[in-house]
Amino acid sequence: MLRQIEGSLGVAQAVALCRPGVVCAYPISPQTHIVENVGKFVKTGALKDCDFLNVESEFSAISVAIGSAAGGCRTYTATASQGLLYMAEGIYSASGLGLPIVMTVASRAIGGPINIWNDHSDSLSQRDSGWLQLFCESNQDAVDTHIMAFKIAEKVGLPVMVCMDGFVLTHAFERLDIPSQEQIDEFLPPYEPREYLTTKEPVSIGAMVGPEAFTEVRFLQQRKMAKALKVIEEVTAEYRKLTGSKSGGLLECYNCENADLKLIIMGSTVGTAKDEIDRLKKEGINVGIISLKSFRPFPYEAMRQAIGDTKQVICLERAFSFGGRGIICPEVKRAMEGTNCDIKTAVCGLGGRAIYGTTINAMVKHALAGKFTEEFTWFDVDSNVLNSYTKNAEGVTFPEGPLGASQLEASVKHA
Amino acid sequence: MMNKSFAVTLEPGTSLENHTGSWRTLRPVNVFKLPPCNKQCPAGENIQQWLYYAAEGDYEHAWRILTEENPMPACMGRVCYHTCEGKCNRGFLDESVGINSVERFLGDYALEHKLAFKRPVKETGKKVLVIGAGPAGLAAAYHLRHFGHTVHVVEQAPEAGGMMRYGIPVYRLPRNILDAEIKRIEDMGVTIECGRKVPDIEAEKKAGKYDAVIITTGAGISQNVDIPQGDTNRVLSALKVLGEIETKGEIQIARRVAVYGGGNTAVDVARSLRRIGAEPVIVYRRNRDKMPANEEEMDAAIAEGIQVKWLSTIAGATKDSLKIEKMALDENGYPQPTGEYEELPTDAVVLAIGQNVEKDILAKLEGLNMERDNIVVDPETMMTSLNGIFAAGDVATTDRTVTHAIGMGKNAARGVNAFLKGQVYKKQPKNPDAKFEDMHPWYYTDAPKTVRAELEVARRTSTFDEVQHGLTEENAIFEARRCLSCGNCMECDNCYGVCPDSAVVKLGPGKGYEFNYDYCKGCGVCAQECPCGHIKMVPEQI
Repeated sequence: MLRQIEGSLGVAQAVALCRPGVVCAYPISPQTHIVENVGKFVKTGALKDCDFLNVESEFSAISVAIGSAAGGCRTYTATASQGLLYMAEGIYSASGLGLPIVMTVASRAIGGPINIWNDHSDSLSQRDSGWLQLFCESNQDAVDTHIMAFKIAEKVGLPVMVCMDGFVLTHAFERLDIPSQEQIDEFLPPYEPREYLTTKEPVSIGAMVGPEAFTEVRFLQQRKMAKALKVIEEVTAEYRKLTGSKSGGLLECYNCENADLKLIIMGSTVGTAKDEIDRLKKEGINVGIISLKSFRPFPYEAMRQAIGDTKQVICLERAFSFGGRGIICPEVKRAMEGTNCDIKTAVCGLGGRAIYGTTINAMVKHALAGKFTEEFTWFDVDSNVLNSYTKNAEGVTFPEGPLGASQLEASVKHA
Repeated sequence: MMNKSFAVTLEPGTSLENHTGSWRTLRPVNVFKLPPCNKQCPAGENIQQWLYYAAEGDYEHAWRILTEENPMPACMGRVCYHTCEGKCNRGFLDESVGINSVERFLGDYALEHKLAFKRPVKETGKKVLVIGAGPAGLAAAYHLRHFGHTVHVVEQAPEAGGMMRYGIPVYRLPRNILDAEIKRIEDMGVTIECGRKVPDIEAEKKAGKYDAVIITTGAGISQNVDIPQGDTNRVLSALKVLGEIETKGEIQIARRVAVYGGGNTAVDVARSLRRIGAEPVIVYRRNRDKMPANEEEMDAAIAEGIQVKWLSTIAGATKDSLKIEKMALDENGYPQPTGEYEELPTDAVVLAIGQNVEKDILAKLEGLNMERDNIVVDPETMMTSLNGIFAAGDVATTDRTVTHAIGMGKNAARGVNAFLKGQVYKKQPKNPDAKFEDMHPWYYTDAPKTVRAELEVARRTSTFDEVQHGLTEENAIFEARRCLSCGNCMECDNCYGVCPDSAVVKLGPGKGYEFNYDYCKGCGVCAQECPCGHIKMVPEQI
């Protein structure tokens, strides 16, 4: 049924449709509305047989989630930014123990300095945590991906982070198609844990494993990630068939046929970019978008196919690695190893800096003019803001427009 | 059957292979500390322990623990000045535990349920004479009987009880309570012979073939002071007034009476006189801060309308007035005469400036060491300078309270018991103090002290009805549960719950816990989270 609602409410309804047994949460913007709504459903009885736990920190939230999942219960929680970091220890435990927790990360920049707006530095900081990381490009995608996430997590035996852009999605009101309970009950049967803590058949989960078997434990964990690629596709296909939705998948191509240039984007920026690409098409410029949904596991093979024989690829990245370069770009390069595809990072949209259609337009023109000469470019950096400090402090000024990594490096050499 | 993950999911108890205790550099140990209430109690009561059982609702057990030290809890719960409460660590949190009120509850509970002391299992055949049936003598007799000795008490007054009967007014200690608690001691087989004064202690000892004697004759002579007076103003002693009210129920005195002194006896006299319709005025040479009388008793006296002339001495007396000299405290807090005088219309004066020991029979004991007004006793054994003759209570101390007398009586009984076995009694070394700083009070919830109901002030001027009421069971258990259990385990399960290695083993109700050092890593969380400071981390010898 179509309804004009807030993204957070839509996600809360999606979670409730999945009949979780335990929901625990600690408030942090921009995730709070989701669990507030789930809490209301539990309180009003709309969501039955669910324990909603208010805890005193994110560390406790993930600890409760681990406990309830190890107890064989379908479990959901949500967080963002510093809250995700505070969970970090437990996050690794959850994946290492193979607990199929579903957690929303309402992506928000990591401080300091504190910043509450959207980028991907929080979710990508947990890149190596062993969780599946599924990014959503719209609120409809978020609603559907949450539902699919439970099934994927339980099939694979790993936890899933559903990453949706904070505020841009969570707080946006738009038309959402929420599936019916009957549909979801058909899609997602009650959780049957393959193993869980019970006094009837006691087991010990997560005790010490030494050097004699740790590598093998990790090998098997990685094997689940490999399996996950298949499961994501299967579950997506099943869900799409059931609901008619277009959500999910490992990645999604838009206007990729014979594109001269492809942009690889995660999250809500995809929507902005699609509109701009449509405008550019009218100018005769043919640009494709690869909306990367599954960042972990990274779909190397699907990515290679999606890029195809396109010779130029720009990864629009909303986070980067300090002292290194982009985070998505190296993965794409691995996927395209042995080809002559030119792959670059355009960092933009940090800490909530808006990415407009004009940003996408400029990025495409910049690329097609051959101006992305370096692997890493600060695409939307504002030299006026920079110079207002560096000029007086160090006698350094930066030119207007996108800045390549070498310009940053050179400014240090000559300073 | 579960589908178990490789290496991650194992049989239960598999982690027991890792003896993580070998990582430890500090080990937790249970320490038993001396709670400040126990330390302070002049009767040596194990307060913390009996509060523990009271808090469990096991009142008989609590009473049994209590009476291991003090056989008169119903009296004690009324007349003890409960200095323990002043030392209570709970005072740092909100208000001290109402120990005295719980003690009274237990005492009354035992009387109501007719709980009796156990008779000794074995008779030793040894005979002990106790002279004086006041609190020290009764306590000594009780403990001696407990040890299996044959005890005979001789009391010169018509009834047993000493100052509890002839000094403490009825409104503080109803006599049916006193009688019942004395009777319970007699029921153990202690014989009390009243109305006879022992004329010669040595002769009595020889004639009765006593193996030991305890002198607990008290300090029953009111101290006198020379007041220059015309022959018409009546001057009476405090003990005469209190004794007469006790025996006759009243005293013919006067309307306007000055009570001279600032101790508990002065307050008892003034409050008693108020009840028989007189208008007492306490005349005291120092101020309220320096007054030795118990604060609560003094508050009650003031509430009952008793006037006080602070910083005043009686310089002289005429038929219907006193000549009062104003005093001033010097820099050391001592009162100094100012040379300023005033008249206080008065018909009689009661002297309540202290009591002395009756020395006539003591003088007959050759070689008995006395110091000023007291028999000198060994502080551990309570034996006097004469072999086999012990002393306790007011006769042997300047700290003259019922509670202290009961404690001394107990110690004297222990001294005698060892003596009768040919040994010398040695006090057990005390545990280190349980200090508030060593505790983790976060776990204790705020709980204000339960205030005992009192007789309305208006009714106190006409009756000797007991002023302070007891606690209900509900209140008593609440009050007992306010105990922080300083330095001693209360089995709250905190250590058991917080131990990340499940290395705290529960031993069952009343038995506490032990540490499984095979797995205890020495993290110290248990010690940090033990509310009562019962766990100490000590370095391992490496």
